[in-house]
Amino acid sequence: MLRWGAAASLGAGILSAADLIPASAAPGGAGTIRVALESDPPNMDPHRSTAAVDRQVYQNLYDKLVDTDENLRIMPMLATSWTISPDGKTYTFKLQQGVKFHDGTPFNAEAVKYNFDRMRDPKFPSTRRSELGPVIGADAVDTYTVRVTLERAYSPLMYVLTDRAGMMVSPAAAQKDGLNFALHPVGTGPFRFVEKIPQDHITLDRNPDYWVKGQPYLSRITYRTIVDDNARVASIKSGDTDIVNVPPLPQIPSLKKEAAQSGARFRVIERGPFAWQGIWLNVTKPPFDNKLLRQALNATIDRNVIANVVLQGAADPLYSFFPNGTPAYDPSWKIPPRSVALAREKLQAAGHPSGFSFTLLSTPGQQQQSIAQAVQSMASEAGIQAKIQIIEFGAFLSVLSHLQHEAGLIGWSGRPDPDFDIYPFITKSGVGSFNDAGYDNPKVDELLDAARLLQDMAQRRRAYSEATKILADDMPYLWLYCPKEYKLVVPRVRGFVDQPDGMMRFRTVRLA
Amino acid sequence: MLRFITHRLLQMVPVLFFVSVIIFTLINLIPGDAARLFLGEEASPDALVALRHQMGLDRPLPVQYARWIGGMLHGDFGHSFKDNRSVLATVAQKIPVTAELSCMALVIAWTIAIPAGVLAAWRRRTAADYAASAAALTGLSIPNFWLGIMLIYLFAVNLHWLPASGYVPPTQDLGRNLRTLIMPAFVLGIILAAVVMRQLRSSMLEVLSADFVRTANAKGLAAATVLVRHALRNAVIPVITVMGIQLGTLLGGVVITETIFSVPGMGRLAVESIYARDYPMLEGVVMFSALSVLAVNLAVDILYSVIDPRITLEGGRT
Repeated sequence: MLRWGAAASLGAGILSAADLIPASAAPGGAGTIRVALESDPPNMDPHRSTAAVDRQVYQNLYDKLVDTDENLRIMPMLATSWTISPDGKTYTFKLQQGVKFHDGTPFNAEAVKYNFDRMRDPKFPSTRRSELGPVIGADAVDTYTVRVTLERAYSPLMYVLTDRAGMMVSPAAAQKDGLNFALHPVGTGPFRFVEKIPQDHITLDRNPDYWVKGQPYLSRITYRTIVDDNARVASIKSGDTDIVNVPPLPQIPSLKKEAAQSGARFRVIERGPFAWQGIWLNVTKPPFDNKLLRQALNATIDRNVIANVVLQGAADPLYSFFPNGTPAYDPSWKIPPRSVALAREKLQAAGHPSGFSFTLLSTPGQQQQSIAQAVQSMASEAGIQAKIQIIEFGAFLSVLSHLQHEAGLIGWSGRPDPDFDIYPFITKSGVGSFNDAGYDNPKVDELLDAARLLQDMAQRRRAYSEATKILADDMPYLWLYCPKEYKLVVPRVRGFVDQPDGMMRFRTVRLA
Repeated sequence: MLRFITHRLLQMVPVLFFVSVIIFTLINLIPGDAARLFLGEEASPDALVALRHQMGLDRPLPVQYARWIGGMLHGDFGHSFKDNRSVLATVAQKIPVTAELSCMALVIAWTIAIPAGVLAAWRRRTAADYAASAAALTGLSIPNFWLGIMLIYLFAVNLHWLPASGYVPPTQDLGRNLRTLIMPAFVLGIILAAVVMRQLRSSMLEVLSADFVRTANAKGLAAATVLVRHALRNAVIPVITVMGIQLGTLLGGVVITETIFSVPGMGRLAVESIYARDYPMLEGVVMFSALSVLAVNLAVDILYSVIDPRITLEGGRT
């Protein structure tokens, strides 16, 4: 064991500077794109992944059954077409022919069936099970047709298959490696896995047998983990990287100025918001078990100031779980104006005319702290005293999921299907994991359960709007803002399309 | 000598055992739930129970400890909660990185500190002494994250002389390896230099007033000979102790510097393991850190006897 460990690390050490091999090393492609990520992707197995940053690498390593386009429409990928039975319980997919996994295993209906079995295997610690919800299983109808059967209708399924649950891993490799599949992942994607050195880099090379003829155009992708915000921005200025993911919001105005100058080394790509941020108010204990006090705090918040002054326009104000541009966004829903008078009225009615005090938990970081301070100063005008307490993220999550907090500032990265922007956060089933208010309202649960059965997005939107109205009155979660999303890209990167989910797909990217 | 080393190695066993108990207890005292963190966006109550079981976190702590120790005695340091990566292989991958960075930092520190310390003591209460002390104080006061970012902006962003961050193994490209490590090593070295310089100055002052130095001067030896051969050699012993402590600390990982310069060493591994509550990995990292402190202490003791023949390993000073 000892000896094996040393040998393995030696091998990895020798390989790990592979990013220095000239771009021409891989035939058929040209150039290495160097990507700076904000944190280290922990796991390369899409069926076990739990970190958003993993998905950045997956986009190029794996293909999915279906993908989304710039407008969040569902597009064919490994599935060329599909039909959904009228009762919503049977999905039939026609598969792309002539596709091979990186290890040579053919991609077909059996492979899809294996992937569904793997995600649902109770003995395998899959993290996709809850997303797949009522899926009973998948069966091969013929070599290139697969049928997915559900217990009941479940409208989020198609969007679920545009993400990790739709990513197909090689059955041969997954069977052989078990949990160690994450160390040598095998997909059908435009790039294949070369190596991963934790906290340092991940290298992917062009898949010469990719099923879309001629693609991809690049020969290599190197993902580097640069967690320090300043160092990540510096890496593109010094020419060490070509794309920087998640430049820090407070620096966006100055970065935009720099990018506007002639001869700038990078441009700033801005995209509409997808994620959301706000404050959980614990409804199971004082002071926020009193709805009037939740409403009082809500009335003191000026969401426009938070988005446009504190974050200098790098965010939109938010008053629901659905940012503008996502499918469930309801344009008739308005941000309420700030009203200290209304806050005082609510305090009076609650029997706390001179206000009350509470502890606002936050995680470290410049952005979170400036938001917490803005809320603190807005609330104090109505006599509500917020005491800010900053704790490390892991401890923070633990306090919130055990409902030991009074209020906690945290958001969500957002998903294309609206269900995952609201359902786990507000229904009773999410208490102990995502429902950090401890909120339990049967009427809301009923609406959201019903929305899962509806196939039509317009109908679903109505159900979400109705739930949002109830939540805006109950206020278990104080919506604050949805951050816009940014990337820095050097001018020689061509053909890069920034998708709404922020995931970088390099299949069609070239370097000038 | 051999008997001494064997004896010291045997002494390490109870120390390491004690350390392992402390590490295990402290790590389990950190608030936060590993299963919750790993499931992240997928943390349904059922999934949490299943994952805690799979991680072995639902067993009593003494049982978990026994499994860990039992595994280590068989050479199995466990596997990362994150992606099942071998703890031993990962730590082994990080050791050369941190060791190289630490050694470069020490070399830089000594290159600055020894001439400065000797000069400050030799020319005490002159402008040179005050300048060296002021420089040392500055070196101690500069926050290393600030110095790191300033260096990146100067040498990488503006002058384009050095890469901004990252790491390349020396086996692959020695030139690039040194170019990526020079800035972080300098940031670390400048702080170490300040400590070493001040220690050396006071130690030199003591030695310079000793009788044998007066004798050497009276014999008419050249000032340089007296300073280096007579004074410095005697003054350097306490400084080696300091260096030993510094090296031990460095090998445990230098978190801030490694983070700013994206050096994938022990410090980053430790911090990321803490954030993720990756207990097996964290336990491995801390055990290695403890081991490296013990090893460096042993090396320093051996070094004493090499530098000062009056010190014997068995009996201390004769």
